[in-house]
Amino acid sequence: MTRDGSLIRVSGLTREYRMGAETVHALRGVDMEIYRNEYVAIMGPSGSGKSTLMNIIGCLDTCTVGEYWLNGVEVSGVGDDELARIRNQEIGFVFQTFNLLPRATALHNVELPLIYAGVSAKIRRRCAAQALERVGLADRMQHRPNELSGGQRQRVAIARGLVNEPSILLADEPTGNLDSTTSAEIMGVFDGLHQQGQTVVMVTHERDIAARARRVITLLDGRVHSDTVREAA
Amino acid sequence: MTQLFEGVGIALASLRASKVRAALTILGVAIGVMVVMVIGSMITGINRGVEDIFNQLGPRTFFVFRFFQAGIQVSDGSDEMSPWRRNPPLTVEEADRIAQLPTIHRVVVDEGAGREVEHGNRKLESVSIRGRGARWAEVSGDIMPGRSFTNLEYAASSRVVVVNEKLASEMFGLLDPIGKWIKISGVPFEVIGVYIPPPDIFGEGNRPEAVIPHSAFSKYIPHWRGWMDFLVTPKENTTVQAAIEDVTAVMRSMRELRPAEENNFAIVTQDKLLDSWNQVTGMFFLVMIALSSVGLMVGGVGVVAIMMISVTERTREIGVRKALGAKRREILWQFLVEAATLTAVGGAIGMLLGGGISFIVANATPLPAKVPMFSVVAALGMSILTGVAFGLYPAARAARLDPVEALRYE
Repeated sequence: MTRDGSLIRVSGLTREYRMGAETVHALRGVDMEIYRNEYVAIMGPSGSGKSTLMNIIGCLDTCTVGEYWLNGVEVSGVGDDELARIRNQEIGFVFQTFNLLPRATALHNVELPLIYAGVSAKIRRRCAAQALERVGLADRMQHRPNELSGGQRQRVAIARGLVNEPSILLADEPTGNLDSTTSAEIMGVFDGLHQQGQTVVMVTHERDIAARARRVITLLDGRVHSDTVREAA
Repeated sequence: MTQLFEGVGIALASLRASKVRAALTILGVAIGVMVVMVIGSMITGINRGVEDIFNQLGPRTFFVFRFFQAGIQVSDGSDEMSPWRRNPPLTVEEADRIAQLPTIHRVVVDEGAGREVEHGNRKLESVSIRGRGARWAEVSGDIMPGRSFTNLEYAASSRVVVVNEKLASEMFGLLDPIGKWIKISGVPFEVIGVYIPPPDIFGEGNRPEAVIPHSAFSKYIPHWRGWMDFLVTPKENTTVQAAIEDVTAVMRSMRELRPAEENNFAIVTQDKLLDSWNQVTGMFFLVMIALSSVGLMVGGVGVVAIMMISVTERTREIGVRKALGAKRREILWQFLVEAATLTAVGGAIGMLLGGGISFIVANATPLPAKVPMFSVVAALGMSILTGVAFGLYPAARAARLDPVEALRYE
């Protein structure tokens, strides 16, 4: 079943939460594999467990039972600091609400992952500038988030996700806070990145957004409901 | 290192964002530091003043007192604890005998009282009247204009007086005081000189003072008997120790003390005086440190409050930083640096205020207050330490936040 270029492999992934006396089963045994240079959309209604899966894949959370292999390394069971290191090196996050630091410039926001990677200031600035150029914001580097439009903010966030050259770009409803024109623009950015070879995993509940991905995994009640690969357009 | 600078930057930015809150928080720290600075500078100033006076006396001059107690002591009424009961007063005869010793260069007796002084219709109450030996001017102050009293005048208990500048200006204004007569305690004395007192630490130089021959003092001025001191200067060719031994021997023989009996007088060198002085200022300093640490504690509690608010407000930011790869240690560090920056700013403000006050004190009073280097370092160190100590709890809370929860926080 293992194919060459497997990036993410999860098997029997289970996640339970304690909510007072009740136990919530967010994931009830998820098996899946994502390969290098794939463009995957994870869909599902709210409560289906897609956010939990996303958090586990993003190493923000750990599973209760199961295995998670990222880039050939077993991630389930490593400590907090090691998870932080993996997040820093292997994963680029793009959030629905952008999550930029409001008081920092675009350039500084993009530099953040490099700061935690221990990159020197000079190289940091250059890499951050390059990442901003890649998303078409070369002329907005010194602007603060409140001086940027929603689309521009999300581009800054994408640049921040890319700056450490992660294995996966993980996007959680990246167009959820944007109007349709801007959404199309941002999806164009993701398409472009995918064409350059970037692995993209995107959580969304919008069908037309998911339609841009090559593969759609649908979750329902904490299990994989369907997994379809489309032919290249 | 980059994170340190980043932390300071973030801290300053959040300070700017909530000026009033930050100002209130750092007020306690600023006051604490200010107190440390002011007290430090004053003690340094007082010490310098004391050293100035001693330097003027000459390092070899020592004192004979009726008794000497260093520091602060409480009498329980027993003879051991009440040396004024056990020790008889010093006498002029004793001073004369000491002066005849071959190892002694000079003895000046000194006794004082507070009396009223009159000239025409001007009257001053409680002027410090000092009865001194004829050679007093050699050890304290310059006389200008005029002169001090002679041995002859001393021997004759002449009613002559040397006033200080303050008394001269209060009595005579711009007129020449030499040759004028003033009444001390109702007895007329002729002014023969004006003296410039040494820079005095407690502002005594600014109090009117008159020096008269001790013989005249005993004869004419009502005073509380028994509080005469001797200032003894040894000859150049002997050691201070030898001189002290000679003085002790003379005093003991005049007082007919048996070998087993303790001295019922006290010989005090400047070193010893300085020691006991330092003991007093050291106590003073400790009390002030204790008081200012209360200020720092209050400031520290403020720091806890503002940092807790800051952590809560920035829960999401913490989540983002964690998502981007910040380890617990790095979050902890960020908030500690922020807290320490907060208190360091408070400390810096306190130092500026304290330095300003010391400057004013140094210029407006005779106290040569000077901010010592150690207190700058100590104040800044204390304020940063306060920030770190009190910032630890909020910072640890920030570092422990779960990234998923933090990112979800609204």
